[in-house]
Amino acid sequence: MKNRIGQRAISSLISLFGLVILVFFLSRLTGDPSALFLPVDASESMRENFRELHGLNDPLLVQFGHYVGDLLRGDFGDSLRRARPALDVVLEAFVWTLQLAAITMTLVTIAAIVVGSIAAFKVGSLFDRAASLLSLIGASAPDFWIAIVAIVVFSLQLGWLPTSGTGTVWHWVLPITILFLRPFGLILQVVRGSMLTALGSAYVKTARAKGVKNNRLIFVHTLRNAMLPVITVIGDQAAALLNGAVIVETIFGFPGVGKLMIDAILQRDFNVILAAIMVTALAIFIMNLLIDLAYAILDPRIRT
Amino acid sequence: MKTTNLTAGLVLAAAMVPALSGAAFAQDKGVTIVLSEELDLVDPCMATRSNIGRVVLQNISETLTELDVRGDKGVMPRLAESWDMVDDNTWRFNLRQGVKFSDGTAFDAADVIHSFERTQSDANTCEISRYYEGIDLTFTAVDDNTLDIKSVPAQPIMPLLISLLTIVPSETAMEFTRDPIGTGPYTLAEWNVGQNITLERRDDYWGEAPAVETATYVFRSEPAVRAAMVAAGEADIAPSISAIEASNAATDASYPNSETTYLRIDHGTAPFDDLRVRQALNLAIDREAFIGTILSEGVIPAVAIVPPSTLGWNPDIAAPTYDLERAKELLAEAAADGVPVDTEFLVVGRTGNFPGATEVYEAITSMLGDAGFNARLQMVEVAEHEQFYSRPFVDGTPYLVGAQHDNSRGDPVFSMFFKYHSEGRQSGIMDPKLDALIDSATAATGDERVALWQDTFAYLHDEIASDGLLFHMVGFARVGENVNFTPTIATNGALQLADITFN
Amino acid sequence: MSEHVAATVRPHRKTVFGRFISMLWADKFAFFATTFLLLVVLCALIGPSLLEDVAGKQNLRARNAPPFVLDRGWVYFLGGDALGRPLFARIVVAAQNTMMVAAGAVALSITIGATLGLIAGYLGRWPSEIIMRFADVIMSFPSLLLAVIVLYILEPSVGNLIIVLAITRIPIYLRTTRAEVLEVRERMFVQAAQVMGASSGRIIFRHILPMIFPTLVTIATLDFAFVMLAESALSFLGIGIQPPEITWGLMVSQGRQYLTSAWWLAFWPGLIIILTTMSLNLLSSWMRTALDPTQRWRLEIGGKSND
Repeated sequence: MKNRIGQRAISSLISLFGLVILVFFLSRLTGDPSALFLPVDASESMRENFRELHGLNDPLLVQFGHYVGDLLRGDFGDSLRRARPALDVVLEAFVWTLQLAAITMTLVTIAAIVVGSIAAFKVGSLFDRAASLLSLIGASAPDFWIAIVAIVVFSLQLGWLPTSGTGTVWHWVLPITILFLRPFGLILQVVRGSMLTALGSAYVKTARAKGVKNNRLIFVHTLRNAMLPVITVIGDQAAALLNGAVIVETIFGFPGVGKLMIDAILQRDFNVILAAIMVTALAIFIMNLLIDLAYAILDPRIRT
Repeated sequence: MKTTNLTAGLVLAAAMVPALSGAAFAQDKGVTIVLSEELDLVDPCMATRSNIGRVVLQNISETLTELDVRGDKGVMPRLAESWDMVDDNTWRFNLRQGVKFSDGTAFDAADVIHSFERTQSDANTCEISRYYEGIDLTFTAVDDNTLDIKSVPAQPIMPLLISLLTIVPSETAMEFTRDPIGTGPYTLAEWNVGQNITLERRDDYWGEAPAVETATYVFRSEPAVRAAMVAAGEADIAPSISAIEASNAATDASYPNSETTYLRIDHGTAPFDDLRVRQALNLAIDREAFIGTILSEGVIPAVAIVPPSTLGWNPDIAAPTYDLERAKELLAEAAADGVPVDTEFLVVGRTGNFPGATEVYEAITSMLGDAGFNARLQMVEVAEHEQFYSRPFVDGTPYLVGAQHDNSRGDPVFSMFFKYHSEGRQSGIMDPKLDALIDSATAATGDERVALWQDTFAYLHDEIASDGLLFHMVGFARVGENVNFTPTIATNGALQLADITFN
Repeated sequence: MSEHVAATVRPHRKTVFGRFISMLWADKFAFFATTFLLLVVLCALIGPSLLEDVAGKQNLRARNAPPFVLDRGWVYFLGGDALGRPLFARIVVAAQNTMMVAAGAVALSITIGATLGLIAGYLGRWPSEIIMRFADVIMSFPSLLLAVIVLYILEPSVGNLIIVLAITRIPIYLRTTRAEVLEVRERMFVQAAQVMGASSGRIIFRHILPMIFPTLVTIATLDFAFVMLAESALSFLGIGIQPPEITWGLMVSQGRQYLTSAWWLAFWPGLIIILTTMSLNLLSSWMRTALDPTQRWRLEIGGKSND
């Protein structure tokens, strides 16, 4: 296993480097940040000074060389707009995103597995129909739409929750609820589908035929076999959340990576984009390791 | 091996519970202000940027002079008590005595000199410096409290120009600072990046103590959320909400926000090199149809690129009356003379430039189509818009740029060179006569200056149909019922906490 | 082996189509979902040619016209938008772009993702490693940056939007396919086929693909919805499809500022998105049953298992 993790780390490092190269050059194709940082009526000499100050006048390859050199010394460069280290900016935001993602995914995973399994056991029942339908309605609406409606209803009309921002635990309720809806609907479906397949499979039938009356045993056994595709989907959903929940963060004024990223992209703050990518990539790498671990535990055949 | 293992493996830090530390909303004598975007910087030399100005300008950092936006007193004293012209090129400012920065050091002429030099430094990218571009300024301290500013060429509006220079102590490093020190009534107490900025009132401020003790700034980019925050009592002032949200007369007020929308025309490309085509374009736009529909009731058809409160604005110019038939005739005449009036062109608009921007440009494109123009709408994001807007212009299909220009500074000089001079970055015009008009108006003083600017505007609008001027816009602010605050034309770029009182 | 046996000894009483219809009828939800989706596809195909002019015609007097009022003609029964264009006509016309974007992105990503996943799962370690690293790169590449790059360098067209959305969805198919393949290839019947000397292509297409197909279909139909929503999210951020092109997502995004004053601007297109998404999902869960040899009996015995 240790060997595997080592290999995994090396190959991930390779793909991360590939990603950095790709983002470094592609993002620089999208225009001159000096035009966005400075007002439209700034003179050419001011622009020149801005570019010079941030090394944007050098040939691209030289810029890249500098960047990689600095990176090797642990320096992620400065944010063009904020005049402070890009890594600091990203880490501050990432703490928020990590919390949002961890809480949301915990809730989603528990809820989806419980509800999805029950639905599969009682396939075709009212519970099954209702769970599918309701989770779907939630997952099918554009999230910015639900978010704004939720603010209007719960904060303005009813006055139960704060509209937006951070501070108290109540501030987390709306953002997490909105973030919860989509992965819940998706994972619930996959759990239900997978469970159905597993329930229909030979060994469960055999077990039932052999007279195993213990529903709990069947449940645990089935669940374990139904987990592989579920874990894949959970992993993808978690990765999406780690990349930042742009819409929710934007609307609720949550200072996470998603909001930081869209701002950095629109303002061409290259160093922040790159630092954010590297930080999230590291987080996703760690998460993928955990997923691999889960695979290996669930299915010993994959371990070899 | 049980399910608990799985979930534990997936969830990175279930135990990590968000910080639950409570933050009280409305303290006594505290206000919460919700801005549309987070501040990247708080450096005083960036205070001309709208959202930075709303926090920093005159709250943390003050200026020598200040433009009166509530009355018509013109330029008023702030850190300078008085000023006069020594000769054509030199102005003398008498500085206020006994003023202390928030770090305890005394304010004197050396601080002003340093503040100016800082804007000119290569070690930063202060945007205030753009107002001093092309002017050779020499600052000399006559004594601690007297300052001479010599300029080549002469600057008849020096007191106005100097109202843009925020004063920092001479110890301030050239690089951008995150801890701005100023002479203003407030200091930066706390900055939780991404969440809020808090200003606290100083006890040793030289002037009258404002009513507000602490001000907390928060940031929400969705206008509906900003409006909702004030309605729900979570914020006291939202300086910018959308007109659609501004439906509550008790809390919502409109103010001329000093923005003017217009279609920039490149006079160098066909078919827009023909005067008749430009006139037809103006006649084909039914401006009245927008007012009270897509745009709010308060907007007025523009006849100049600067708002009516600006010096030299010409009241005799009438906005073009919608006349579809005349527009078609003009196009037909131009076509008869061989002007390629059916050339396809783009109407380039910026997504989210102002509330309703997309609808406005969709409607204009369709109106132009009705008159026989071959217009196609292209909405772009900010960086691409800049490409279209500024020189060198984009090759290929001809285009009009829908843009919004802000001038709350009281004088057209801050707009005219950039927008109309042959060398201006966003100018689509190369006209020696116009250049001469702009140059002479820039150098003139008093009534002559007013007259020259008025001539310039008349020439632009009536004689060469320089652009497709659209509207002088209005902004909407929502002010909670606990506080008293009247937005003004300056609210777009500054929000003096001293102007806020409690009910 | 039981699955395999069940799959081959099915009754052949009706024609394939007839069997399909009766199985669909057995699940009323799926039946109505299919009907609705056919209607949407019909709108997408012929809507623009019928209503394009009406949908683009501005009429500021009908600005934000409320729904269920027939004074202005039947096209206004869902109300008018901010420029007084009839919402009904706009929704019908927007169906084309919306369907093209979603279907295009899903088709493209499933083709690329499943192919790569099959290769990664079936072939040896090295191809698998390379492909999985590729998936990692894509998964970590910010889709918003991709959208901005495309918007800036290329034009904001439907085709380019399909590419942006498809690229971001490849990893999910890739990983799912690979995971399923890893599982299926260990099954007895696949190993038996290998022992009997069947070619890789034959094993993949005859044995593995049919086994993973239901999972892929489930995900694809859900993803279809996801792509529609992702498209609307890009519109919300101002980096999606640009007016005068329209999609349902763009309509919701543009209408959101009127939520408190003219709810119908964002509500109708939002409702259509939800209905389409749900229909796809109901159909997908029906298909999952219908395509799974071990589950199909539930539908063939006439839907008695459905309450």
